[in-house]
Amino acid sequence: MITVQNLRKCFAGRPAVTDFSFHAPDGAITGLLGSNGAGKSTTLRMICGVLEPDSGEIAVDHLTHRDGPLTRRHRLGALLDHSGIYSRLTVRENLLYFGRLHGMAPDMLNARVDSVIAALGLESIAGRRTGGFSLGERMKTALGRALLHGPQNLLLDEPTNGLDVPTVRSLRALLRRLRDAGTCIVFSSHLLDEVSALCDRVVVISEGRLIAEGTPAELCALTQTATLEDAFVQLTCQTEACPC
Amino acid sequence: MLSPALVIASKEAIDGLRDFRSVISSLFYALMGPLIVGLVSVAVRERAGSTLVLAGMMSVFTLVAAFAGGMNVAMDTIAGERERRSLVPLLLNPVSRLDVALGKWLTVSFFAITGLVVNILAFAFVFASAGMHLTLDWRHALLIGAVGVLPLALLAASAQLLISTVCRTIKEAQTYLSLIVFLPMSLGMLLVFFPASRQPWCRFLPVLGQQLQLQSLVDGSATAIFEPLGLGCVTLAVAILLWSAAANQLKRDDIVYGN
Repeated sequence: MITVQNLRKCFAGRPAVTDFSFHAPDGAITGLLGSNGAGKSTTLRMICGVLEPDSGEIAVDHLTHRDGPLTRRHRLGALLDHSGIYSRLTVRENLLYFGRLHGMAPDMLNARVDSVIAALGLESIAGRRTGGFSLGERMKTALGRALLHGPQNLLLDEPTNGLDVPTVRSLRALLRRLRDAGTCIVFSSHLLDEVSALCDRVVVISEGRLIAEGTPAELCALTQTATLEDAFVQLTCQTEACPC
Repeated sequence: MLSPALVIASKEAIDGLRDFRSVISSLFYALMGPLIVGLVSVAVRERAGSTLVLAGMMSVFTLVAAFAGGMNVAMDTIAGERERRSLVPLLLNPVSRLDVALGKWLTVSFFAITGLVVNILAFAFVFASAGMHLTLDWRHALLIGAVGVLPLALLAASAQLLISTVCRTIKEAQTYLSLIVFLPMSLGMLLVFFPASRQPWCRFLPVLGQQLQLQSLVDGSATAIFEPLGLGCVTLAVAILLWSAAANQLKRDDIVYGN
């Protein structure tokens, strides 16, 4: 469960996120929707503790910044816009490295690595160094890294970038399984069809502020539109210089 | 279970050893001095005083080896992380930024010390092969080596880590790091052309002090025991200062996310 309250972050005096609040419950996929530069990635980075907010409160399973960012990170798995992997290590070695950093015991770590490799269909390339991998193979390895320690909360920033259709489908199925098992998933994407298909709740952010939140059906009802795309455009056009 | 800093250090060491091109380059830097001295020793064979001149050359090349051994690993270890966008995923783990800086520094230091040791062994081999016999006080040599010169490799690792942290790409880090390799060479030249610069306090300055210590070792001049000890302490203090500066840089948003 992730709760964000009155979050604020400025870069060189320019506000990136302003008084942004939302709640992502356990057992649900919460979509974070916004245009480019709306503040989605900055928000996800602050939740992970990679960026410090200027003000506001972030709670991950009731753990706040007062409990320290390291404690919070044990309960988080994240695939953010920076998702580089080590090209001279194999897929398995990449995963083992990050598992060790999470302090996983060797027996448990090996079992988890096998299970993540199987879940993401990486068996055939698990022993290969990742240098020269396709974008999709790199994304899958990075996703495996986020899932490895079995986090209760998962943050995904455009996780389907570069993935082929079968992999996107298997990723959706995996995310639904994790949701059904009680994981809190925050999912940021520009692909509105994907958000409609996958997300239980949607949070719309524009210019660093919360614009609306609810289920896709509730947002359509609120804006009296037929699709989430129309609803999104209508909501964000109220605050941004709209090209449409 | 290994501490996070050691987990990071062992991964960086494996990564560094698999970078064949950088291993070859570091080996070249470590062996360049012995190779040159070996070739010159053939040319000046049986000339009076040649042994001392060649041994004097050794001091410059040995200090270069301390700076060159970890250079390639240093540029890959943080500037490389920033370039391949893997620094953020690393910082997402429940590991403090001090641990990240410490783990990376341990690896760079390991490569720097290895470069230094390979260089000294190669010099010993060249001197033995050329029939050159230095009248060294071995206890004194060990003291200068362990307490005076070894900390220089740690200082070099800290300085290189700091430079690598503020650079956004490997190419940028390479530009600056290859320049600081020439620091010992330029100070060596300074001593040759301006012998008056050999002030007593110079013996406690990192790089210059190590150069003077090594030269006094090969020319057999007396050195008080507190000199290498004091030099080692000053060098270690500067190394810790530079390492702290590198670790502090990792707290900056523009370092973590700057493109």
